[in-house]
Amino acid sequence: MAVQSDIVDDAGPYDRAKALSAFRFGDVTFYWITRLSAISVLLILGGIILSLIVGAFPAMKEFGFAFLWTQRWAPSADPPVLGALGPMYGTLVTSFIAMLIAIPVGLGIAIFLTELCPQWLRRPIGMAIELLAGIPSIIYGMWGFFVLGPFLANTFQPFMIKIFDGVPVLGAIFAGPPSYLSLFNAALILAIMVLPFITSISVDVFKTVPPVLKEAAYGVGCTTWEVVRSVVIPYTRVGVIGGVMLALGRALGETMAVTFIIGNSFRISSSIFAPGTTISAAIASEFAESDGLHQSGLILLGLLLFVLTFFVLAGARLMLMRLEKKAGN
Amino acid sequence: MSDLSVSMSAAGGLPQAPVLPEAPPKVTVRNLNFYYGEHHALKNINLTLGANRVTAFIGPSGCGKSTLLRIFNRMYDLYPGQRATGQLMLDQTNILDGKLDLNLLRARVGMVFQKPTPFPMTIYENIAFGIRLYEKISKSEMDDRVEKALRGGALWNEVKDKLNASGLSLSGGQQQRLCIARTVAVRPEVILFDEPCSALDPISTAKVEELIQELSENYTIAIVTHNMQQAARVSDKTAFMYLGELIEFDDTSKIFTSPTDRRTQDYITGRFG
Repeated sequence: MAVQSDIVDDAGPYDRAKALSAFRFGDVTFYWITRLSAISVLLILGGIILSLIVGAFPAMKEFGFAFLWTQRWAPSADPPVLGALGPMYGTLVTSFIAMLIAIPVGLGIAIFLTELCPQWLRRPIGMAIELLAGIPSIIYGMWGFFVLGPFLANTFQPFMIKIFDGVPVLGAIFAGPPSYLSLFNAALILAIMVLPFITSISVDVFKTVPPVLKEAAYGVGCTTWEVVRSVVIPYTRVGVIGGVMLALGRALGETMAVTFIIGNSFRISSSIFAPGTTISAAIASEFAESDGLHQSGLILLGLLLFVLTFFVLAGARLMLMRLEKKAGN
Repeated sequence: MSDLSVSMSAAGGLPQAPVLPEAPPKVTVRNLNFYYGEHHALKNINLTLGANRVTAFIGPSGCGKSTLLRIFNRMYDLYPGQRATGQLMLDQTNILDGKLDLNLLRARVGMVFQKPTPFPMTIYENIAFGIRLYEKISKSEMDDRVEKALRGGALWNEVKDKLNASGLSLSGGQQQRLCIARTVAVRPEVILFDEPCSALDPISTAKVEELIQELSENYTIAIVTHNMQQAARVSDKTAFMYLGELIEFDDTSKIFTSPTDRRTQDYITGRFG
């Protein structure tokens, strides 16, 4: 203590209280700036929800809860009939198939990059993944429309339809005729689009596993697969699931590419090779020429997407909590 | 400097374990050289680990003790650019054989690390995991094996009521004993300890040392340590390494009382290191 007061004395006479009050003023300003930034997020979110509700109110009053389970979408009928079942189904199905493809492939790439890949191949693959994330969605849409769609309709779809013909359930899921525009094509494009999210986040969290923990697992005689399955993924599951949720959020809301290749049909078909639509695709393709009740119905669709996304992400978080409990944390 | 000389006198003053008769060799090292890329890290090492004996490796940081230990279970294989030449026999098996099944080797040669490394799973699973890699056994047999391993790791009484808690919820010393139990559960022949107590408090250290002594009845043990008292307390033989060379290798009591090499003497009396 004596040493400290010596230093203060040596620094010469100055008004300590004044200096401190200047600091305090700075601190208070800093506190409020950060606080306002944080609050603004809540305000913006609340504002968006509020304006969605206001815009959707006429449609809500007209259709009530029947909006949720009506399949028919006939804005020009008299009286107009609007139902969200088709777009909701399409949104959930395309996102589900997309995640079904993207999670194993994305994790596979991440595992290969961090555990198995020779050093010289790491950068090229890593960069390709980053570039994949940078491609605008409209490009995916055009590519899906002109290249992937015809390719799938001519090769993959007939193949699957033939294989599962007559098989119960699966036969209905992979039913013909092949189509350039379908739920499956949209889901495949979505899978490619969300792949970089899953891969790059997984790579980042896989790198945080302490080498000595992996060595310990190898040390009891694990193979690389056993190390990844039992140590790397459990150790990083929070991060991996975060990446998957980010990808899922993007898949649920993706608009442009999907609008191009999904066919915009409001009819629900059991086949994933049939055209369909998603909430965001329906809004994007119809909003410009809509008015009155039709427009209000589209806004209500938007509100539904909001709610849907919220529930899906909340569900994922719940699943995560149960996983944590099982692991004994 | 001062506390090192204290440790020296403490080591000298300890009741030395009686010199055991020569044990049959379990691991034989002949003309072993090791390279990190261009760097020649181990130079012409020759020694044997006696069966059911504790062999300590001492020496200043960077002298190659841990490197040597990591050759015994081929852990260096995980990293590109590292290679070993020479001969390293575990009984009749050449450990350096490129065609050797590494998973089986690591089942025979277990390792305990400097920092506790519990797997991100429950205490029970931490033990059962390693056993399941090699054996398909029923739930009740597994319960027995887990209990036996935890008793072997002197941890059973502390965790028997919370086997389903996360391994990460234990204290540092308990985690380290869990790792020892996990290693023992696989029934290895050799156990390698890489500075097992450097992250532990004195009480946990004492427990682990006691455990090492007990384990030597059934296993061949190699331990790397920076703590010379520890080497004196737990080991039968001590190897002093310096700059990648094996300087002196003899009975522990001889190394700590009348070393033949000048550098060994300087190191254990704290003149460098």
